[in-house]
Amino acid sequence: MSMLRAGAFDVSERATTSELIAFETESGTPVVQLSGDWGRAIRPPSAAHVADTLDVGGQSRVVVDGAALDNAHPRVAAFVHALGDALTQDNVSLDTRDLPDDISALIALASPTPAAPERPRRPGLLARVGRRAGAQASVARNTANLVGQAMALTPALVSGRAQTRWRDFVELVRETGAASLPVVTVVNILIGAVLGFIGAVQLQTFGAGMYLADLVGIASAREMAAIMTAFIMAGRIGATFAAHLATMESNEEIDALRMIGVSPFEFLALPRLAALSLMMPLLFLYGATLAIAGGMIVAHIVLGTPPVAFVERLQDAMSLSEFVIGFVKSIAFGVLIALTSCYIGLNAGRNAAEVGRAATRTVVVCIIGIISIDAVAALCTNALGI
Amino acid sequence: MAELSDNQNLERGIVVRDLRLAFGDTLVQEALSFAIHPASIFVIMGVSGCGKSTLLRHMIDLARADQGEIVFDGKRLVTGDRAERAALQRRIGVLFQSTALWSSMTVGENVALPMQLHTKMGAGEIADQVAFKLALVGLAGQQSRMPSELSGGMQKRAGLARAIALDPDYLFLDEPSAGLDPITSQRLDALIMRLRDALKLSVIAVTHELPSIFTIADDSIYLDNQSKTAIAHGDPHRLVEHGPDRVRAFLKREPIEAEETESI
Repeated sequence: MSMLRAGAFDVSERATTSELIAFETESGTPVVQLSGDWGRAIRPPSAAHVADTLDVGGQSRVVVDGAALDNAHPRVAAFVHALGDALTQDNVSLDTRDLPDDISALIALASPTPAAPERPRRPGLLARVGRRAGAQASVARNTANLVGQAMALTPALVSGRAQTRWRDFVELVRETGAASLPVVTVVNILIGAVLGFIGAVQLQTFGAGMYLADLVGIASAREMAAIMTAFIMAGRIGATFAAHLATMESNEEIDALRMIGVSPFEFLALPRLAALSLMMPLLFLYGATLAIAGGMIVAHIVLGTPPVAFVERLQDAMSLSEFVIGFVKSIAFGVLIALTSCYIGLNAGRNAAEVGRAATRTVVVCIIGIISIDAVAALCTNALGI
Repeated sequence: MAELSDNQNLERGIVVRDLRLAFGDTLVQEALSFAIHPASIFVIMGVSGCGKSTLLRHMIDLARADQGEIVFDGKRLVTGDRAERAALQRRIGVLFQSTALWSSMTVGENVALPMQLHTKMGAGEIADQVAFKLALVGLAGQQSRMPSELSGGMQKRAGLARAIALDPDYLFLDEPSAGLDPITSQRLDALIMRLRDALKLSVIAVTHELPSIFTIADDSIYLDNQSKTAIAHGDPHRLVEHGPDRVRAFLKREPIEAEETESI
């Protein structure tokens, strides 16, 4: 008598399955007969499926019989073990008989699966909201802590008394400054040129092509050069710093620093902060100049404005304050990128995925931060009328 | 162990013939010839930096030797065609020194991945296999834990479960007991021997842990870092009494002469 409900296996499986497994009863006890060559089966039955479809009929015992097996393939052992586990959950015990010795030995080696531990109850909505808020508060506290540390240590850094290696600082300056020049060059020239094109087309319709210098110059110096350079640095340097520090954290290198009495912040974050806040404004000046040059080239090509006329117009249109605004913002962007990347890097989890996540989070947080700082700065300068 | 004749080929088992390992111009080991018999535990021993792990990496085809050959069951690993090599690699399980569990996957997913990639097993059977392999190494029911939640010994055992996921014929262990306490290390040794018996595995272990060597090794090779070749073959219990001086000193944990201790 078959213990399988009709349609238990789909058609494609039945052909192979029926040769491997059969169900019988002996004086009321269900018997699972295993047979054939399991090693060559395309899809042998899975234990969970058999346990579900097997009609135990109220018995507390099921027997697995291996007398008809062609060979001792380890697949059989996995099946019997898993079937035993599945039946145990329904308080049915599994006995084996006539299994090949190798299979019995393997099964004996496998330890029984302990009962699944009770899942901790999901906390209520209020508790979850509270915990999330608490976590945010701790981020805010840590951030304040970080900014405070940075400010407190600045005098030590400036006077050269900070616990940091000058060689690292010089290397960081090279990495953030000189090594960033190519990408800063390309992006800023192109941004200036794009501004030039948009402005040229619009201003020409009013016959005000002359004023292209005003548009490109002010937009580049006040906004575009600073923001684009900051974006580049967030992606190029912020992500590198975060991934580097996160990897150090997962290698216990940070712990090793603490153990020799060195503050990881002072040793790692401070030189990065100094390098970035020093290089960002310089890169901005360089970028703004190139952006204006890009606009000038477009003005010459599209409007036929001679470069000399463009520069003369620039001198009239721009005041030093345009550059000062961009310059000051760049310093703020540099501080933001350095602190964000170091904070996220030093607080990353200890595995490979966390390192990547730290890099991504740094870039995202920096971009949001850069735009926010820029918006606040725009409001302030507007209110002050500069 | 019997000396290896030039044309000896084991029908089952591994034969390494005249292998030369080097990093660029730096010679690591040369003239390595030995045979590993099926269902035995073969230990590669030697002091730190002698090239044990390098030899292991060559044997599992993660690095290519510039001279010599490695033959599995009469088939050459390196010069065989791609499909043949892939089939052979499926029969090799490796437990890496740092366990190398994929940290973003659960223990169960770690063990399941080789089966998902290399077999046509259905999800149900893979789940059965994962449960069984974890039960074999004493980690029954730990499928949903992350590797980072496991202790060092448990990580090793999870790595072992992944290494035997495809029912390999050859199991390579790189410093299996490194970083484990004596008790955990002894349990791991017992487990390795039980798996060898139950799964008929040939185990190739790189280790310098003496208790481990004497417990598990059926056969061994000692790589010497001065003469840059193997200076002893055989059962370590025999080598500790009758082996060359440096091998005896190594196996007895005795100091060697001052002139030879330059590299530590």
